[in-house]
Amino acid sequence: MTALDNLLLMSAFTALFALLSGNRPTAGSNLTVLYGGQCLALALMAGLGYGGSASIASSLSFDILGHALHWRFDGLSWFFAVITVGAALLSSWFASGEWAQRFRARGGNLRLFHATLAINVTSMLLLLASGDLLSLFIGWELVSWASFLLMALAGGAAIRYALRYLTYAFAGAMAVLLGLVLIYARTGSFEFQALHDAAAGMDQATLWWLLLLLGAGFGIKMALLPFHLWQAKAYAETPGPGSAFLGAISSRMGLFAIVVVFVQLIGIDRLVDTPVPFTFLSARDLLAWIAVFTIIFPTFTALRQHDGRRLLAWHGIGQGGYMLLGVLMADDLGSAGGLMHVFNHATYQAMLFMSVAAVMHRTGTSDLNKLGGLVARMPLSFLAMLVGIIGLAGLPPMNGFVSKWLIYRALIIEGSPLLFVAAVIGTLGTILSVYKLIHNTFLGQLRLEHVNVEEAPLSMLLPMMILAVIVFVTGYFPGLVLDWVAAAQASAGLPVLAHHLGGVAIDKGGLDMIWVVSVLLAGFAVGALVFFAGNRSKRVHQLDNYAGGHFLSADTRYQYSDNFYPGLMHLIGPWYRKSFRWLESGLVSAVDTLSLSMQGLYRAAHPSFYLLAVVVFILSWVVL
Amino acid sequence: MSVGELAAELVLMPLVAFVAGMAMVLMMRKIGARIQRRIGPPLLQPLYDILKLYGKQTQISHGLIHEIGVIMAVGGYVAAETLLPVPGMSGLADKGGAITLAYMMMIPSLGLALGVGQCANPNGSIGISRALTAMAAYDIPFIIVIFGAAYVYGTTNLADIIAIQQQQGVPGWGIARMPLLAIAGLIAMQGMMGKHPFEIYVAPHEIATGPMVEMGGKFLGGLFVMQCFQIYTIGVLYSTLFLGGGANWLTFLPKIFAVVAIPMTIAFVFPRYRTEDVLRLMWKWPVVIGLMGLAVVMK
Repeated sequence: MTALDNLLLMSAFTALFALLSGNRPTAGSNLTVLYGGQCLALALMAGLGYGGSASIASSLSFDILGHALHWRFDGLSWFFAVITVGAALLSSWFASGEWAQRFRARGGNLRLFHATLAINVTSMLLLLASGDLLSLFIGWELVSWASFLLMALAGGAAIRYALRYLTYAFAGAMAVLLGLVLIYARTGSFEFQALHDAAAGMDQATLWWLLLLLGAGFGIKMALLPFHLWQAKAYAETPGPGSAFLGAISSRMGLFAIVVVFVQLIGIDRLVDTPVPFTFLSARDLLAWIAVFTIIFPTFTALRQHDGRRLLAWHGIGQGGYMLLGVLMADDLGSAGGLMHVFNHATYQAMLFMSVAAVMHRTGTSDLNKLGGLVARMPLSFLAMLVGIIGLAGLPPMNGFVSKWLIYRALIIEGSPLLFVAAVIGTLGTILSVYKLIHNTFLGQLRLEHVNVEEAPLSMLLPMMILAVIVFVTGYFPGLVLDWVAAAQASAGLPVLAHHLGGVAIDKGGLDMIWVVSVLLAGFAVGALVFFAGNRSKRVHQLDNYAGGHFLSADTRYQYSDNFYPGLMHLIGPWYRKSFRWLESGLVSAVDTLSLSMQGLYRAAHPSFYLLAVVVFILSWVVL
Repeated sequence: MSVGELAAELVLMPLVAFVAGMAMVLMMRKIGARIQRRIGPPLLQPLYDILKLYGKQTQISHGLIHEIGVIMAVGGYVAAETLLPVPGMSGLADKGGAITLAYMMMIPSLGLALGVGQCANPNGSIGISRALTAMAAYDIPFIIVIFGAAYVYGTTNLADIIAIQQQQGVPGWGIARMPLLAIAGLIAMQGMMGKHPFEIYVAPHEIATGPMVEMGGKFLGGLFVMQCFQIYTIGVLYSTLFLGGGANWLTFLPKIFAVVAIPMTIAFVFPRYRTEDVLRLMWKWPVVIGLMGLAVVMK
C-alpha cells in the first residue's frame, strides 16, 4: 500500500459511503470528515508539493491487450489534487447543514448530490493520477460523466444544459481518442515516455493533428473559445455547493491534461517551432491568442448577465484563459502565474458561488435585478463576496493579484504587448462586472420583502470565512502556494520559479506582497485615523437621502440595477453579435440535416436492398 | 538602508505627497481663475476646505461600508505613494513596481464605488457606473504606456527607470525615447484626473446626479484628500516615466507641477464628453497613438 493507494481508497470509500448513507441528516458532516481524511492522505504525500520526492506510484495497475495501465502522483497531480479535495471538503461542509434540509424539502435527491460530488472527486483524482495515455483517457471519460451527473442533478432546465455539455464532452472525448490513436500509430505505445521521446522528431503534420484533436478535446472541458458555450449555464444551474465545486476546479482538468500532454510530454518548444501556415505566428502564439480571446469574450459576456450565478460562471471561463496564457509562456514567471491562478481562482470562485448560494438560500433568488441592500442583513456573506471580487478582479491585497502579476510580468519580459493589453482589458471588464454583482446584491436599497432576511447559517458561513482567510493569507504570503507551484513546475518540466514567502525577487522589478499588503493595511489605518479625526458622524436610515427634488416614498424602492453600464453598452452593445451561438446552431443544423439524410438513405428508401448488399459484401469477404 | 530610514521614508512620502497634492489643487483653482479672469483662492484655501469639511457639524453616514469606502479611497493612495519614488526616497519601489502601482491606484476607485453603493441613492450608483466605465476607458491607453516604459527600460522598478533616465541625460528621457507613448500617456492622464473634458463621472456641477450625491462633511473631505493624492500620483508617475524623475527636489517639483498644469489648463477651456464619447475617444486616439508608439520602440 502506497500513500497514493490510501488516497484513492479513501476517496472510493467516500463515494461508497455517500451512495449508501447520503440521505441521512448527518451525511453532510460525515462526508466532510471523510474529505478531511482525503486531505490528510494528501498531506502524507506533501513531499510531492515541496519537491521532496519526484513521484509516488499506486499499486493499482493492470494490463489490457498488453498495455500496462498504471497510476501515479507527481508534483503537478498533487497540486491539482489539493485544490480538488479542498474544494470538495468546503462544498460538502457548505451543504451539510440547513442547505441540505432545504434541498431535500424541495424534493432534491440529497443522496445523489453527495454521491455525485464524491464520485467527481474520485474520478478527478484518478485522472490526476494517470500514469499513461490510456489511464488518462479513462480518467477523462469518468470526469466527464461525473460532472454531467452533478450538472443534471437539479432537473428541469439543468438537464437540458447538462445534455448540451454531454454533446460537447462526447465530441471532445472522441477527439481525444482520435488523438491517442494517432499517437499510438506513431509511437506504438501509450506510455508517457514514448510520446515524450517521439515528440522531438515528430513531423509538423502529426503535431498539428495532435494539437487540433487533443487541444480541442481538452479545450472543450476548459471551455476555451470557441467551445465555451456549454459551460456557464450548466454550472449556474447546478445546486449551490455543486456549482461552487464545479466552478472551482472541474474545468481545470482540461488545463491539467493540456499541461501534461503539451507541456510535460510534447514541450512548448515544439509548439514554438511549429509555424501556422501562411502566417508569422507559431502554434504557441495561436494558442495564446485563443487563451486571450477566452479571457475577453466570456468576461464581457459576464458583464451582460443579470443572474449572479451565470455572471460568475462566465467569469470562470474567462479566468481559465489567464491560466492557459500563463502556462503557454513556459517561462518560470508566466507558468507559475498560470498554475498559481488555478489555486487562486478555485479559492475565490468557490467562495463567490457560495456567497451567491447563501443569498439564494435566504432570499430565494440570484436575479441581480431583484436583490439589493443585503449588506445590512448579511454582512458576513457580503464580506466573503467582497474578498472574492477583489480576488477575481485581481487587485491587491488578494491572491488573484499575485498570479495575474506573474503573468503580466512574464508578458512584459517576453515583449508581447498585444497579449498584455488584451489580458488587462479582461481585468477591466472583470472589475466592472464584479462591482455590478456586489452592488446589485448587497449594496443599494434593501427591498421591502428582504427587510427581515437573516444572515446565512453557520454551516454556510464557516466554509466561506475559511476561504476568505485563504484568499487573503495566500495574497499576503504567496510563497505558501508558490512552493507547491514550483514543485508542479518541476514535474511538468518547466523552469522552476525562484521565490520567497512574499513573492519573487528579480532584479528588474520583483514583487514582495508582504510589504505591499502591509503598507496597504497601514494606508487603510492612516485613512481610518484621518477619517475618525473628523467630527462624529450620524447614522441615518438608508432612505434618508437626497433625491434631487423627486418625491420618493418609502414603499417604492429605487435600485439602479438593470443595464448597469449604459454608457459602455451604448458603444459596445452592438458588438455582441452572438456569433458563437450562431456558429453552434449552424453546426447543429448541419448535423441535423446530415443525420436526416442518412436516415432517409437507410430507412426510407430501399432498406432491404442495402441489407442485401451488406450481407453479400460480408459473405464475399468471409468466403474470399 | 536601515530600518529607521525606511520607516522615515514610508511616513514622509505620503506626507510630502499630501502637501504637494494640496498645492496642485491650489494651482488648478488658480489656473481656472486666471482663465476666467478671477483672482482665485488664497494660498491655504485647500487646507481650509479640508479642515472645514472634517469639522462640519452635519456628518451623515449611511452605514459602515460608506465609511470604509472613504477610508479605502484615502488609504489606497497613502499606500500607493510609498511605491512611487521621489528624489532621495525610493520607499518600496523595489517591492512593487509599475504594475503593482497601476493596480494599487484602482483600490481607491473600488473604495469609492463601495461607499457610494452603500448610500442607497440610485443617482450615486449611476455616477459609479459612469466612473467605472471611464476607468475602463482611460486604463487601456494607460496600461499600454506602462508596458511601453517597462519594455524600453527593461524593468518595472520605478527607481531603476529613474536611474536609467538620469544616467543618460535628457536624450534618455522617456519623452525623447518614446514620444508617441508620451502623447498617449498625456491623454490618458487627462482622463485619470477626472477633469474636463472627461469629468462627467465626477459631475461636480450637478452633485445630485453623481457619485458625490450622499457625500458631505468628512466624507467629502476624504474624497478631497484623495483628489490631492490622485493628482500628485499621476503627475509624479508621468514625470517618472517620461521626464526622468528628479535628481533633486528643485528640478523635480517644477516638473511635476508643469505636468499637472497641462491637463488643468486644457480642462478649463473644454466642454464635456458624454460617457460613451469618453470611451470612444479614449479607445481610439490614445490607444492608436500608444500602439504606434509601441511599434516604434519594439521594432
